[in-house]
Amino acid sequence: MEPSVSRYAVNSLLYRLKKEPDFRERFTADPAAALARLDLTEPERSAFIARDMRKINELGGYLHLVMSIPGLAAH
Amino acid sequence: MGKIVFAGAMSHVLDPEYYDRACGAVGRQTVEAVMAEIARMGERLSARKPDALIVVADDHLNAFSFNAVPALCVRIGRDVQRMTQDHAEAFDKVLEHMPERYPLHEDLANAILEQGLEAGFDLALSWEAPVDHAFLSPVNTMHGARPIPPLVPIWVNCFVAPQPTARRCFAFGQHIARVVARSPWNVGIIATGGLSHFPELSLPRVGETDTVFDRKLIHWMERGEHEPLLELTTAELHKAGEHEFLNWMVLLGAVTPARADVRYFGELRRINMAAVEWSLP
Repeated sequence: MEPSVSRYAVNSLLYRLKKEPDFRERFTADPAAALARLDLTEPERSAFIARDMRKINELGGYLHLVMSIPGLAAH
Repeated sequence: MGKIVFAGAMSHVLDPEYYDRACGAVGRQTVEAVMAEIARMGERLSARKPDALIVVADDHLNAFSFNAVPALCVRIGRDVQRMTQDHAEAFDKVLEHMPERYPLHEDLANAILEQGLEAGFDLALSWEAPVDHAFLSPVNTMHGARPIPPLVPIWVNCFVAPQPTARRCFAFGQHIARVVARSPWNVGIIATGGLSHFPELSLPRVGETDTVFDRKLIHWMERGEHEPLLELTTAELHKAGEHEFLNWMVLLGAVTPARADVRYFGELRRINMAAVEWSLP
């Protein structure tokens, strides 16, 4: 199995971005601020701030989330 | 005595717009061709007047997130709602314009669940989980404007490791067949997803398929040789992009040793499309 703790942090964030329009809006406006209180590693935080879905997928982000977040999806 | 009167399995993103965007005109043509076969399968299903339709499919981290990911889950209750997604992207878009609620066959769902627990299957249950494209795209394509029979949605965890084994999924399908046989109902069953796509769930590998692996699976299904399929490992399925074949394993358990008739197989860069129906006694 992949390391599950890290996978959880990345994927629960992806899930919130998909399912919570208010959080997505805050993230879109200011990604660093929206993530400030979240327990992420620096590579995870940087990948999200850069909206680098390929990197997020490499870090354990589930493909179907990476491909379906409104406005942020990789195609 | 109840009977499985129809069994079919098929790809489940049935959206010409999606494949047009992803693969161009050939994507549109391929999905339209498989959809035409699936619609014909739906006509044969309806002609057998099923009391219920069991749909074995997977969640795409929509219904179940990170509070619980059940290996096998039976949806109970009176009806099920379509997943809603604001500003839907990609495969979520196909849900738009579909009916929002679908009646369930409560008695069959409860029987599969209760008798399953008694038989040693530690099944999860849900009263609330919504269904995504994996359920509704095939169901609506099969029925068009005709009424949809009461559904029994069943989820298999195809994506979140560790998944149930192919052998366990098959055994669960055998359980479903026993429940149906003891019931008074005529039942249709479909499994959805696949065939090969998204190997290793890796974004750079989106666009790769494994046609050799698909043909191997088809070969065994056509001959009703299900033993080799029981040996498939989660790691093999992950590597080949055959994650959703676990849904098909449940169906195979329910109809074994019936032989498959391939109604459609089409190679596409992004996914190999299939529609398969089983010849039932």
